[in-house]
Amino acid sequence: MTVTDVPIAAPSPVLAAARRRGRGFAPVLPALALVVVVFVIPVLALLLRSVLEPEPGLQNYAAFFASTTYLKVLGNTFLVAGTVTVATVLLGFPVAWFLAIAPAFWSRLLFAIVILSMWTNLLARTYAWMVLLQRTGIINRTLMNLGLISEPLPLINNLAGVTIGMTYIMLPFMILPLHATIRSIDPAIFQAASLCGASRFQAFTRVMLPLTASGIAAGALMVFVMSLGYFITPALLGGTSNMMLAELIAQLVQSLLDWGLAGAAALVLLVITLAIYMIQLRFFGFGQARS
Amino acid sequence: MSRTSRALGVAALALAAGLAGAAMAQSGSLVFTSWGGTTQDAQKKSWAVPFTKETGITVKQDGPTDYGKLKAMVESGNVSWDVVDVEADFAAAAAKDGLIEPIDFSIVKRDEIDPRFVTDHAVGSFYYSFVLGFNPASLKGKAPKSWADAFDIKAFPGKRTFYKWSAPGVLEIALLADGVPADKLYPLDLDRAFKKLDSIKKDIVWWGTGAQSQQLLASGEAPIGQFWNGRLFALEQSGEKVGISWEQNLTAADMLVVPKGAKNKEAAMKFIAEATSPEGQASFATESGYAPVNVKSAALMPKDVAANLPDKHTASQINLDMGYWAAHRDEIGKRWYAWQAE
Repeated sequence: MTVTDVPIAAPSPVLAAARRRGRGFAPVLPALALVVVVFVIPVLALLLRSVLEPEPGLQNYAAFFASTTYLKVLGNTFLVAGTVTVATVLLGFPVAWFLAIAPAFWSRLLFAIVILSMWTNLLARTYAWMVLLQRTGIINRTLMNLGLISEPLPLINNLAGVTIGMTYIMLPFMILPLHATIRSIDPAIFQAASLCGASRFQAFTRVMLPLTASGIAAGALMVFVMSLGYFITPALLGGTSNMMLAELIAQLVQSLLDWGLAGAAALVLLVITLAIYMIQLRFFGFGQARS
Repeated sequence: MSRTSRALGVAALALAAGLAGAAMAQSGSLVFTSWGGTTQDAQKKSWAVPFTKETGITVKQDGPTDYGKLKAMVESGNVSWDVVDVEADFAAAAAKDGLIEPIDFSIVKRDEIDPRFVTDHAVGSFYYSFVLGFNPASLKGKAPKSWADAFDIKAFPGKRTFYKWSAPGVLEIALLADGVPADKLYPLDLDRAFKKLDSIKKDIVWWGTGAQSQQLLASGEAPIGQFWNGRLFALEQSGEKVGISWEQNLTAADMLVVPKGAKNKEAAMKFIAEATSPEGQASFATESGYAPVNVKSAALMPKDVAANLPDKHTASQINLDMGYWAAHRDEIGKRWYAWQAE
């Protein structure tokens, strides 16, 4: 065996052997069983209803795509998820960068803030935004007392409220993968770029961005897909005229008891999510792991 | 190795199933589900506590009421709720769809209940009025009186808050505000109602729960709106300054129902008998500001409390027509949510 035959990151022979024999699968079974019982089966049951209720056929899908309301809700779902994804990239990138290069103390402090905000109860965080954003809330009152505005800004029960709240909640899911990617870059590369005469802008666009693309893609996918199906934050901070698909499904299930149509809406969302995931896999592989 | 983990997994599943089974088979208890907040607190204090004292049957509180969950339980045959507080239009629809048990009137005394609020499948829980509530501080002393005032943004600036879900109430209010006489409300002129609502749509903040309605009003976020009278009563009890107009208040009852296949059916009927007894209704009404459905309760209540209940504001009172709603619930619901999302 010559030196060139050795793959760069050789998998451990033990792991490789285990993989060939299919060992190591057994410990996964309890988790797998749990997922099948409490997730896969109920989801399949709901999806089945979409073609069986009130009678066998595709009428629920026809109804979904024939309704301008439902299509508007679907469009709005994408609009919100897209806006939130872009906002988290723009806000998260500098933070991830700072986390990677800052002195240990500051880096750890900032990291703790990011993680702690994730660990705080979602409902509590959303209610906190309600208190901040409402017409009689802190932000509007401060701005009015300062004389900057004469009427309260409409920051809640609309698109602005949902976008602000969800961007905040999704930020960690962008920062963490991005941080992992940035940390793995050798800082000497940027010195090399500047020695070769690259401006700061060129170093950013031609060295930094390509190297972090997989991290951005992984974070963006995570944020976008999670946003597509989000319920609590849009329900509390949004208004009915910019409803998202998850709220529509909840309404169909809880209030109208139309589970056939709810199943159809759920399947539409699932198919779109999977499609986005496939596209991501096609272009970026599994992010970090394959770069 | 693999055998061990498989065995462990099976053991864990068996244990979980066993525990669940044990909890369900437990006798002498029932689960009561209602809407949470100040209303359910009062139900617990007035009904559950004395019921447990008399019968030894424990009452577990659950909530909030969720029609989707109720339907799922009945369909799966795994019903964990025994008595559920629901809105009257749902009770009528659920009886039609076979989701609830008939009431056992050998246990519940039908002749004591106001006939407006009892059916073969449901007994009134309490009866309430939708009233116009306002925050006097936010309106700087101006007092809206009629539903038309609630739609008059010029005279009474600020956001409005109305009940979010498709249910009897808001459509009727819109029609009354538009000048439809009370005795000509039904069948509802939906086109006209939605058109009227369109005129203030951008100023409406929807409330989904009673607690949310209280928060919106007390904070001044929405200084005018449609409220359950008991929620305003609770705000007043807690010291908030609240304005109420009873003009054309709209009444309906919440109903107590037993989901089909409930595990503790007999205990459930006994609980309903206790809840709708003269004492149970009087005590709950005193706590909550809602009116009793038992005709014998008023005599048992303090005079000052009885004077402020919906059944003392009958001059311009309107009964929401549950028969109409039960028949049209689905079609109105579809249109309602589509309109909201527009």
